[in-house]
Amino acid sequence: MTAERFLALVAAYGADRRRWPEGERAAADAFAATRADISAPALAEADAVDALLHRSPAPQVSAALRDRVLTAAASAGGRAGRAGRMWIDRLSLAFGAGWAVATCAGVVAGVMLTSHVTADAQADAVLYQSSLLGVDDTEVLG
Amino acid sequence: MAGAAVLDLTGLGATFPRGRMATFADPDEDLVRRVGQGDPAAIQAMVARKLPRMLALAQRMLGDPVEAEDVAQEAMVRAWRQAPRWVSGKARFDTWLHRVALNLCYDRLRRRREVPTDIMPDRRDDGPAPDRGLHAADIGFAVNDALARLPDRQREAIVLCHYQELSNIEAAGLMEISVEALESLLSRGRRALRLALAGHRPGAEGV
Repeated sequence: MTAERFLALVAAYGADRRRWPEGERAAADAFAATRADISAPALAEADAVDALLHRSPAPQVSAALRDRVLTAAASAGGRAGRAGRMWIDRLSLAFGAGWAVATCAGVVAGVMLTSHVTADAQADAVLYQSSLLGVDDTEVLG
Repeated sequence: MAGAAVLDLTGLGATFPRGRMATFADPDEDLVRRVGQGDPAAIQAMVARKLPRMLALAQRMLGDPVEAEDVAQEAMVRAWRQAPRWVSGKARFDTWLHRVALNLCYDRLRRRREVPTDIMPDRRDDGPAPDRGLHAADIGFAVNDALARLPDRQREAIVLCHYQELSNIEAAGLMEISVEALESLLSRGRRALRLALAGHRPGAEGV
């Protein structure tokens, strides 16, 4: 790898080698190890920018948004014909509101589907499971 | 993962020497299939996996939390509609979802340009204020503000590669540009951010 390419790589992708293109990572590593006079200042500069970028707070998903999206899933299923009706049936069982869905089948029933307490508890469980290393959330709950 | 697809993601295979062709195995393939079958656990897992990503993408692209929620919700609605008819192997589901959300973001950005308004998303004054205490939240706001001030394409490149952690080939494919052009956008964007945030770097006054 040339010095020019190494510097271009770091300028574009930053100092974290995991972000470097996979095909060039080994060559860039080797260059960094053998030409510290060139690589070290560039990496330090890029690392400072990376650190700032990491300070951008990630927005948190509100319970209301999560509920709207889950409700939309049922609604989308309701517009998708037979498969959609299957969605409604299964979601209604999962959310413990089968009576509501049975009443409103064929209507935009999503609003009736989501028992907030149940959905929140289930979504929290999914979030918890997904935070566990090596655990497939869908396998755990599904 | 059973049945993982390994295909040319970008359609650019012919332009790359053998061995550099973009290949992928879709980690969402099984989940999408189960969502398409109406599996409630899969639907909730999809929400847990994708909604935060779509919200983060939209928030950083638009800089407006209300619009970001609208975009994230609409992207997920389209995911629900798409899942039952998703054909695995043509693209990664995550990449497709990013395409949907980006299009929604660009619709809104275009609308902002076409309808000038005095009501803009809240932005903090980032003028020099070395005596201001640089609380961690201040730096976060300053970074978001600097991101918001980047040209759209530079911001998009940084959001896709840095925050969404897409590969360069995925990001370039989504942006419909070459990897070289992507790298140019990334470099210029990072340089602009470095200059805009010079006062917030470790070692700067007040930090």
